[in-house]
Amino acid sequence: MDLLAQLVINGLVNGSHYALLGLAFAVIFGTTRITHFAFGPIYALSAYGCWFAAATLSAPLWLAVVAGIATGALAGALTYLVVYRPFEREGSPPLVILIASLGLFILLENAIGVVFGTDTKVVPAPPSGVFLWGPLVITSAQLAQIAALVLVAGALGAYLTRTRFGKAVLAMTDNPEMARVIGIDTLRVSVVAFALGSAIAAVPACLILVKDGATAHMGFIAVFMAFVAVVVGGVGSLRGAVAGGLALGLVESTGMAKIPTEWQNSIAFVLLFVVLLVRPRGLFGGR
Amino acid sequence: MVSLYAILASSFNLLIGYAGLFALSHAAFFGVGAYATAILAAKFGVPFPWPMLAGIAITAVLGVVIALPALRIGGDYLVIVTLALQIIVTAVLLNWTDLTGGTDGIRAIPRVELAGAKLDTPGTFLPLALVVAAICFAIAWRLGASPFGRALKAMRENEAATQAIGKNIVAMKLSVFAIAAALASVAGSLYAHYVTFVSAEGFTVELTIYLLAMVIVGGTGNLVGSLVGALILAVLPELLKFVDMPSDIADKVRQMLYGLLLIVMLRLRPQGLLPESASAHHYHAPPERPPVDTQVVAAALEGRGLERWFGGIVAVAGLDITIEPGRITGLIGPNGAGKTTAFNLLTGFLQPDRGEVRYRGRSLNGLKPHQIVHQGVARSFQDLKLFTGLTVLENVLVALPRQRGDQLLYVYFAPWLVRREERDNLARAMAILEFVGLGARAADLAADLSYAEEKLLVVARLLATGAEALLFDEPLSGLAPNALAKILPLFKRLAGSGRTLCIIEHNLDVIRELCDRVVFLDEGRKLAEGSSEDLMHDPELSERYFK
Repeated sequence: MDLLAQLVINGLVNGSHYALLGLAFAVIFGTTRITHFAFGPIYALSAYGCWFAAATLSAPLWLAVVAGIATGALAGALTYLVVYRPFEREGSPPLVILIASLGLFILLENAIGVVFGTDTKVVPAPPSGVFLWGPLVITSAQLAQIAALVLVAGALGAYLTRTRFGKAVLAMTDNPEMARVIGIDTLRVSVVAFALGSAIAAVPACLILVKDGATAHMGFIAVFMAFVAVVVGGVGSLRGAVAGGLALGLVESTGMAKIPTEWQNSIAFVLLFVVLLVRPRGLFGGR
Repeated sequence: MVSLYAILASSFNLLIGYAGLFALSHAAFFGVGAYATAILAAKFGVPFPWPMLAGIAITAVLGVVIALPALRIGGDYLVIVTLALQIIVTAVLLNWTDLTGGTDGIRAIPRVELAGAKLDTPGTFLPLALVVAAICFAIAWRLGASPFGRALKAMRENEAATQAIGKNIVAMKLSVFAIAAALASVAGSLYAHYVTFVSAEGFTVELTIYLLAMVIVGGTGNLVGSLVGALILAVLPELLKFVDMPSDIADKVRQMLYGLLLIVMLRLRPQGLLPESASAHHYHAPPERPPVDTQVVAAALEGRGLERWFGGIVAVAGLDITIEPGRITGLIGPNGAGKTTAFNLLTGFLQPDRGEVRYRGRSLNGLKPHQIVHQGVARSFQDLKLFTGLTVLENVLVALPRQRGDQLLYVYFAPWLVRREERDNLARAMAILEFVGLGARAADLAADLSYAEEKLLVVARLLATGAEALLFDEPLSGLAPNALAKILPLFKRLAGSGRTLCIIEHNLDVIRELCDRVVFLDEGRKLAEGSSEDLMHDPELSERYFK
């Protein structure tokens, strides 16, 4: 029983990570319907931005995280304006944009490797506390992970429902065609969605940097997990993306009790497979 | 290596370019083929070519398994499922250490020995690689150029319409996945023998993107293009050798170039160096034409107590409908009355929650749309769903029934039968096009037709299916009077030849002119049925219709 409770806690911690990724991906995918594979390297780039600020400019960690988030937001917005926007203007079919995003993925991933080298980047971790709660163990880093999800999701929710512009973003997630018809400036919303989504993704990127370090290849698994979280949760639903991410973490963690660690990605695959077969629209998918 | 890439790129093109199935698992198929050979040859000493054949079998099965979820979903979902397969395969290769050597990979794979000679230099290996590549390319080419390949392209353009002309798209997707995967595995097997060392790093998603770049540069839907693409992208990195830089950096710069090339190519020339139309087949139909509106013996299509719910809303509620042969039945009613839903129920695109559809004395319940077409009942769509990327002639050709060329067994083992049949089919297709008055546009792309011509092509394509009961969903809407004057007699001739016709229509003048019987539908129920005159003079119905 204690073991199960501990696994659930671990699952929630990892799930928060996936949920943040899923949320970030959903903000971009939901509003623009662009299958943004370059999400992965931009996520990696944010971690490198944070590392650069902390290690080279010796900024304090909180400032470095801000730098990482800014890097992500800037890179995300630029990606949209420089790469995707011209395709959209020409009315390219979604598949063409998807292929372009794969090209961008491989371009950016290798560019990071060329510029920063292939070694793993680390920053000195802040002193970590361990809390005991009965027989259960939870570290301050893990708490930070959950707190990050709560904070980001809360702030995003408030932004989307309280502000005028946030509502425009939400409207576009719901129905891009209709949003255009009622006169929402879809260009601005798209740029903001890319900046916002990439900034959100920068948060888990910085957390991973502190925990495990950053590599140029860290983006692939991130965009995969983000995508799975969105599909499991249901395309077009931000809440679904969070739920999908948490479900992913929980299934992975409880599954790990029986299965060796190196197979954990396979668990995500099985979950994806089952969800697609049973509920192709995802857990929170509408209609 | 160019031979290997040529195999990989052309088989990948079958999936993306022809079938429109965007699968990101090609590197995984390649890897499974390579490991199958590595394990069998290095650990069990199985001689060439048996490991290759085993690899083909394994990956073909894997291709079918991964195609299963792809049957229900498309687009982004297929991307994620195939990506997941890629990750799984990498995980297996890295972690099943006993079998795959884990991160070390498998070394010392024996070279191929043919006729006592060991093929251990690039020079001696090259002939074998070329021969195998040529065979693989021929297999892909036959597939692409066959009626099956034509049907794949139709499926890429529109899945529902491909079902509606009687194709089993499930079987098509499974076969093309199996073949593409098997070809990739052949390349993998050659790779293992040639390099004599395999490790999981050689089969990552980056390789799939590299192949994708070859296909895009060469041109999707054009297999020769894939050869050109493979050649260009394999030679390109050699040029980098003239630039002085450390090898790991050079490798990354090379990959950056692929990415950049992909994006630039998509911006400037998305159809590739050799566009699909460059390889479009030029058909020459023989001069004799079989007659089109010959007398047929059709039967009544009957729906009994059809009921269908969507969530809590009833779309069709207890509909009894009989569509008599040799007549034109009009289905009318306000928007949202359930007319199109009724069509979907009659043709298997939706299964009724209650009730039964009967034709020629047998129940059509539970049959798939393509099976219902084979029973003799076919339908068109309100939004036309033409195969816009195919020519006018191909739109009709692909719809002709019972083509041997749709079966791979015939395509590969009795090509002469397929060829002879294709000649007959060409004559039939041309006859149908001339019947509807589109003979002169046969070689044009369907995308270039005018609106009225599109409507004519819809009629031609539906007629080509050989079904005797034809259901048209708004075949005449939006047509100008002179276009109407051309198309109305076609319907009359078809009904006169004994066929069972039903049309959904809003224009009351057309109904009066064309329909022998009219069924009035509202809120999923049949409100009235009778001759068009009777119904139009019923004040209550006009009231409802024009409300």
